[in-house]
Amino acid sequence: MSMSTTAPADTEVPRRFVRADGPDKVTGSGRYTADLTMTGQLAAKFRYADVAHARITKLDVSAARAMPGVLAVLTNDDVPDVRFGPFVQDRTLFARDIVRFEGEVVAAVAALTPTIAQAACDAIVFEFELLPVVGDIEAALGENSQLVHQDWSNYGAADALLRDRNDASFASITKGDVAAGLADADHVITSRYVADGCHAAPIEPRAVVAQWEGDKVTIWTSTQVPFDARAGVCETLELPTNRVRIIVPHLGGGFGGKCGFHYEAHVAALARTAKRPVRLVFSRREEFVAPDRRREGMVIEITTGVKNDGTITARKAWIAIDNGAYTADSGFFSQLASMHVAGPYKVPNVSVDAHLVYTNHQPSGSVRAPTAPGACWALESHTDELARAVGMDPVAFRRLNALETGSVGPSGQTHDEIGLRRCIDRAAELIGFQDVRGDDEAVGMAIGWWPSFAAASGAYIKIDADGSGQIITGAQECGTGAVMTLRQLAADELGMEPEDFQLIYQDTSAAPFDLGATGSQTLFNNGRAVVEAAGEIGRQLRNLAAQRLEASVDDIVLANGSAHVAGTPTLSVAISDLAAEAAGGELLIAHGSGVPSSAPALVGSTCVGDLGMAAWVAPQFSCHAVRIRLDRDTGVVRVLNVAAVHDSGTILNEIGAQGQVEGGILMGIGQALTEGTVYGDDGNQRNAALLEYKLQTIADAPRISMHFVQIPTANAGPKGAKGLAEAPNVPTAAAISNALATLIGKPVRQLPMTAERVWEALQS
Amino acid sequence: MNFTIAATVKEALSALASGARPVAGGSDLVVSARHGKAPLPDQLIAIDRLRELQQIVVNADGSVRIGAGVTHAELEIHPLIGSTFSALADGSALVGSPATRHVGTLGGNVMNASPAMDTGAPLVVLGATAELQSIDGSGALATRLVPIGELWIGPGRTSAQPNELCVAIHLPARAGRSGSAYLRLEYRRAMEIAVVGAAASVSLAADGSLLAVSVALTAVGPKVFALGNMESLRGRPVDDALLREVASLAEEQATPISDLRAGASYRRHTVGVMARRAVGAAAERANGTTIAIPVNRAQGIGAAR
Repeated sequence: MSMSTTAPADTEVPRRFVRADGPDKVTGSGRYTADLTMTGQLAAKFRYADVAHARITKLDVSAARAMPGVLAVLTNDDVPDVRFGPFVQDRTLFARDIVRFEGEVVAAVAALTPTIAQAACDAIVFEFELLPVVGDIEAALGENSQLVHQDWSNYGAADALLRDRNDASFASITKGDVAAGLADADHVITSRYVADGCHAAPIEPRAVVAQWEGDKVTIWTSTQVPFDARAGVCETLELPTNRVRIIVPHLGGGFGGKCGFHYEAHVAALARTAKRPVRLVFSRREEFVAPDRRREGMVIEITTGVKNDGTITARKAWIAIDNGAYTADSGFFSQLASMHVAGPYKVPNVSVDAHLVYTNHQPSGSVRAPTAPGACWALESHTDELARAVGMDPVAFRRLNALETGSVGPSGQTHDEIGLRRCIDRAAELIGFQDVRGDDEAVGMAIGWWPSFAAASGAYIKIDADGSGQIITGAQECGTGAVMTLRQLAADELGMEPEDFQLIYQDTSAAPFDLGATGSQTLFNNGRAVVEAAGEIGRQLRNLAAQRLEASVDDIVLANGSAHVAGTPTLSVAISDLAAEAAGGELLIAHGSGVPSSAPALVGSTCVGDLGMAAWVAPQFSCHAVRIRLDRDTGVVRVLNVAAVHDSGTILNEIGAQGQVEGGILMGIGQALTEGTVYGDDGNQRNAALLEYKLQTIADAPRISMHFVQIPTANAGPKGAKGLAEAPNVPTAAAISNALATLIGKPVRQLPMTAERVWEALQS
Repeated sequence: MNFTIAATVKEALSALASGARPVAGGSDLVVSARHGKAPLPDQLIAIDRLRELQQIVVNADGSVRIGAGVTHAELEIHPLIGSTFSALADGSALVGSPATRHVGTLGGNVMNASPAMDTGAPLVVLGATAELQSIDGSGALATRLVPIGELWIGPGRTSAQPNELCVAIHLPARAGRSGSAYLRLEYRRAMEIAVVGAAASVSLAADGSLLAVSVALTAVGPKVFALGNMESLRGRPVDDALLREVASLAEEQATPISDLRAGASYRRHTVGVMARRAVGAAAERANGTTIAIPVNRAQGIGAAR
């Protein structure tokens, strides 16, 4: 078991409360999608391409359709002719002419049992001619490389995307004069790093249940983004939004892997054809190979000029990102990766080019802090190389060059008050950076940053006759606990207790829009909506109390479950009494949304392929420091301690915040040491199973100490909170890399830094 | 599928004679069926409730008979196994997870015959014998004792007949001033399978020199096997030079493959490391030093000091 200690907060001691969905989850009373059973329900199975790149020469489902117990078999011929994709419309529900990765769905079957459905899938005649596999992202950018999409130029796409052949999205950030900056440097260091792809690996494999009633369909699905799932169903099956209802039962983890639109339309189409409810439940293997949400592999080359005194003069970088076969939500990856490779540093001259490259791999998508862990690992490993070149301590080098309050970031954004330097100082202190250690132990440090995403979001609140409340929100809970904090926000606004509220959430027909559990945005945006709705209820309660107490509305205070007159606590009325009164007159119903913050200005930079990822609202900062031990005979690394310090603004629930940081660190250790997708020459994954794709276990957990730097942030969310779901996953792997480089004398240049790769580095 | 719970060993043997396959913890059988490696047999005879298979009997001469149904969890904490047959406790403590160790049995691990099995190398260096029972068509009971090294004939294959049930493992008494240890290379500390592993057993003379030494290797060949050409080590002190020789012998005799877990050259190198450390730990135990079970944890990271 890991141990956590949290030092007192900067400005106030954060509150601690147990999340509302905790008891359901730990006692087993909670229901997940795969637990649902509808009367007459059928089982769905998919026939997959199983080959990475091929032209379909024959697809005959007649034998499958004729099998007893089979009620629906669907292919591309049975659904509307729609290409979809949030950035590039390069995707269809079912393969059409060409299959481009092994997990592409060729056909879908609904049958009485999973066994019959699988037998029907096996009975489908699927013949093809293999095409050359595009597997190497650098080669794929070559002039004569095989195209993954021959028709790429005819696809609809977001206007801002710059596309060319296998390059699905090119972005660059330039500022100042890099050539002059490098010429001005005393040392110019160039590094190359390669990050393998990896997986979100949620413990619950996804499941979808669809049931039609008349021309309306209800879909229960394990998604992080119900409104996005609904949009996908509506787009591909050509339905209006008010005929599609998405409900998410408890979600068994997501980590970004369940963002996007996934299979809800396939199952809905099967249910419509079969005229029965249909349930799809993925196997672990399907969870590995099929969804368009794998963490991207990357090649990163960075050149930085640095003065003898340690000042960075210029940075130039080139990034190639494995997009996989289709552009899911990855269109913005090139710009976001550019920001992470440029980094949270004062760099006067910047030039970063990034390409998002089609291959015949599983599509990449937003896994927890997309692009950041790999890009941060490369940049921060490079940063220690710079510090070594000028003979500076890694802590001092970062203190000198990292962004601070008032400095201008690499994309030309001027930063308001930020806590990065305090993160660095505190992490160094918590890990004991200067302590003497044994020959096989070392410490390493890395810093990271992550934006807060401002977006539209809505919530309703109602208070019933007995004074108990309901928050009806579009927000989605994926395990972070962010939705659970909404009760606290409403309660604080109304002088009530969190337990006075129930949450109605994860239902697109009950609640207004929210982006979902994505981009660390739930509390930031939906918190704003809930505070606004609660404020409206508060106005109603104060009006009622003013009449009852014969006082001015402005003097009414809501506290401790009552409304009282300011200065005269004895002159009060219980909120439940006011609610009872309202129940016979104007009901206590409110809605909230609020206006999202606008993006800060960028000055002096040029952003090509701009998808809004270079101007960051209320950025979050972090510093992780680690102490590791290396077994030099085998290359096995053990992470002994991690110190994590985060500037995520105000911490609203310390228990939840600690959980996010601990989880992010464990995921980061996995990405650092053991988690990486292995591809065969045929373009297929070779380790699509939990035995060979090695997640960290609780037995591997280090001792974790953490601290939250709580400072006021311009344009932050409710009560000064920023996000915290993704930030803790950003710098851990980088910090481990730097500790390892200290022990080996050079960085291990491929992620994950497996024992075998470490051992090879020790040999050479 | 026909699933029967045996009330006696004899019932189990009758079922085997009529074509059933045995299941105890099911941690290999069920998992491999779920993964599509091998379908569940048509007839299963459950032997997990047979008390006669769950005894650890210590004989007057110091030898032990471990019932095939004894779980890894029991072996992990059994005082005598830990103190006297330490390598077996080391290996048992590393199997899978606490849940796996509570259902998985020694007999199951042995008869599954995986070259990566964690109890295999310990049993080889401890000189184990498998007790196989069967009944023939006339109902006559037959018992056969097979040296453990002759039981395994390849990955997942044993020399046992389909009608034979492994009912026990016998371990001979230990010499005075002896010790044993098992270590494996692992990338994480739970839910892991040996990348490579090695067990060692030593007994020491009064002057600390080696009277006897044996080493067996895990996951570097089609089956767990004993290291040969060890004669030159006898009579010598357990020092760095000897441990280097042990590593060289292991590297020379290993025939590793390259797979997802490791490349062949890395396996060849690290099995030498494991063999060296296993002999070192076994000698320390023989000298009376207490190294907690399993050595992997006692020595810190992975299998390292």
